[in-house]
Amino acid sequence: MSEAAILTEGLSKSFAAQTAVTQLNLRIQPGAVYGFLGRNGAGKTTTMRMLLGLVRPTKGRAQVLGLDPTKEAELMRILERVAFVPQRKQLYGWATPAELVRMNKAYFPRWSDEAAAGLAQRLEIPMKTAFKKLSIGNQSKVALLLALAQEAEVLILDEPTAGLDPVMVDEILRTLIEDHVSQGRTIFVSSHHLGEVEQICDWVGILEEGRLLLESRLEEIRQEFRLVIASGEGLPATQSADVVSATTDGRFRRYVVAREAERFATELRSQGAAILEISPLGLRELFLHLVRKEDPCTPGNAGAKAVPVSSFS
Amino acid sequence: MYAWKCWRESRARFFFLLILFSVTALLFTLQPGIEVRDGWWHFDRNEYIRNPWPTAHVVFSMILSVLWCSGFLSAVFLGATAPGSEIEPGTIEYLWTRPRTRASVTWTHWGVCVGEMVLVAVVPIYLAAALLGALTKHWDFPFLFSAPWMMVIVGLPVLGLTTLMTALRRSASGGLIYASGVVIVYAILRQIIIVPLHLNLPTLFAGPLIWLMNNNQFGVTPSAFPWGALWRAVFLAAAFPLAAQYLLKRAEV
Repeated sequence: MSEAAILTEGLSKSFAAQTAVTQLNLRIQPGAVYGFLGRNGAGKTTTMRMLLGLVRPTKGRAQVLGLDPTKEAELMRILERVAFVPQRKQLYGWATPAELVRMNKAYFPRWSDEAAAGLAQRLEIPMKTAFKKLSIGNQSKVALLLALAQEAEVLILDEPTAGLDPVMVDEILRTLIEDHVSQGRTIFVSSHHLGEVEQICDWVGILEEGRLLLESRLEEIRQEFRLVIASGEGLPATQSADVVSATTDGRFRRYVVAREAERFATELRSQGAAILEISPLGLRELFLHLVRKEDPCTPGNAGAKAVPVSSFS
Repeated sequence: MYAWKCWRESRARFFFLLILFSVTALLFTLQPGIEVRDGWWHFDRNEYIRNPWPTAHVVFSMILSVLWCSGFLSAVFLGATAPGSEIEPGTIEYLWTRPRTRASVTWTHWGVCVGEMVLVAVVPIYLAAALLGALTKHWDFPFLFSAPWMMVIVGLPVLGLTTLMTALRRSASGGLIYASGVVIVYAILRQIIIVPLHLNLPTLFAGPLIWLMNNNQFGVTPSAFPWGALWRAVFLAAAFPLAAQYLLKRAEV
């Protein structure tokens, strides 16, 4: 197996009494586009910061391109080869984007002036206006330009499209696919826009309260993952290798099954359960099922209440 | 490139201080020759030619009485742009994800500030010395030529202290206020303790400048130079930024 672009083993971080990340194990292969999903405060940003040496792990270890970000000399080599767009896209207010480009290019040996000029044009960035006078959307675009023109081997993007209009989001995604994914660069991106993640990612990891709930290929989710709703007495409550989530909803039990849903349903039937539904799951439904603590409310069933089993019979 | 950023960020404060002190020094140099005749301001050079040394002494005393604080002011105002000040506004994430060590960032900023401090101290006084030399036709003003370097020596520990305080307080305003506070509180405390208790609490680092202000008379044998205060200043000038470097190296953002 080739060296992972990003690797974490038992990575944990606590801030005083608060645990941000717990026992996180990730192995992201070079060239993968990995969507890192989770609710606010799930630990996504803390994980990214640990990869970039901004925060030190409490336990466990991380490697980026085979290098340890907790060692200064190795961190410098990581930072030369990794581009980062932080969640808070804060740059020097007095500087114009043109000045920021000049300042940034001096740090990176692989910097591409051509890419920077192209991005400035495609993203319609006013290059001679002070950063503090730009709209939030334009500030995000500048942060993206600085990261993308770095021609880095790994892109770590923390909510890169926050504050951008749909046209610009589309432009950014196209740029990422055309200029970066196609060249085999690794992208580790966190986003709350699941549609964007589905558009560009081939892997997803879902984080909740610092724990990795699920890691899978997106294709696998589309083809294999099923929601199984069953009712009956004594249904299994715990998760197994195939069952990634089991929640109780009134008299029903909802199972998110990673593979062989039919076989699982047959097992439940043999235990006397009634199977009410076996349905495929999109990323959005899967995410909501995994991270919601109550009944999921998708646009189709907003405000849905648990229906007694007798209604189905 | 970070040096350029430091310069770009502090240049407004630098030019403000440079112009303020240069104008002050030049006005004080011209002041002994200015007189009012028939309701108009006139400049008479005779006083400079007739009594060059006493005039130079008056000029120097006036300049020092105001510009003694230039090292301190430039240290706190320029030092408040130290890397620690970027933590609160959030630009530190950008800075610390560039491939430069935190130590190199800290010392690059320190180097730029020292350069600016030297210019703020040297340019106004050497301009005054040049004008005084042209007016008196004498160029032998050793105290005047050494004064800016005393100001820099006094300013360096304050610059280090401000760098440390910005790292501790994680903001420019916090660094400026706390560094000024430490210096002022120590000076007040020193006075409070010395007078009633007769304890000789040393000047923290202003010794060389105080010595200069007390020994600026030409032709008079100066008292012993306060080497202890000088070494204290040198030690603190190095210790404070090193402490800031240690803090920033361990900081999480």
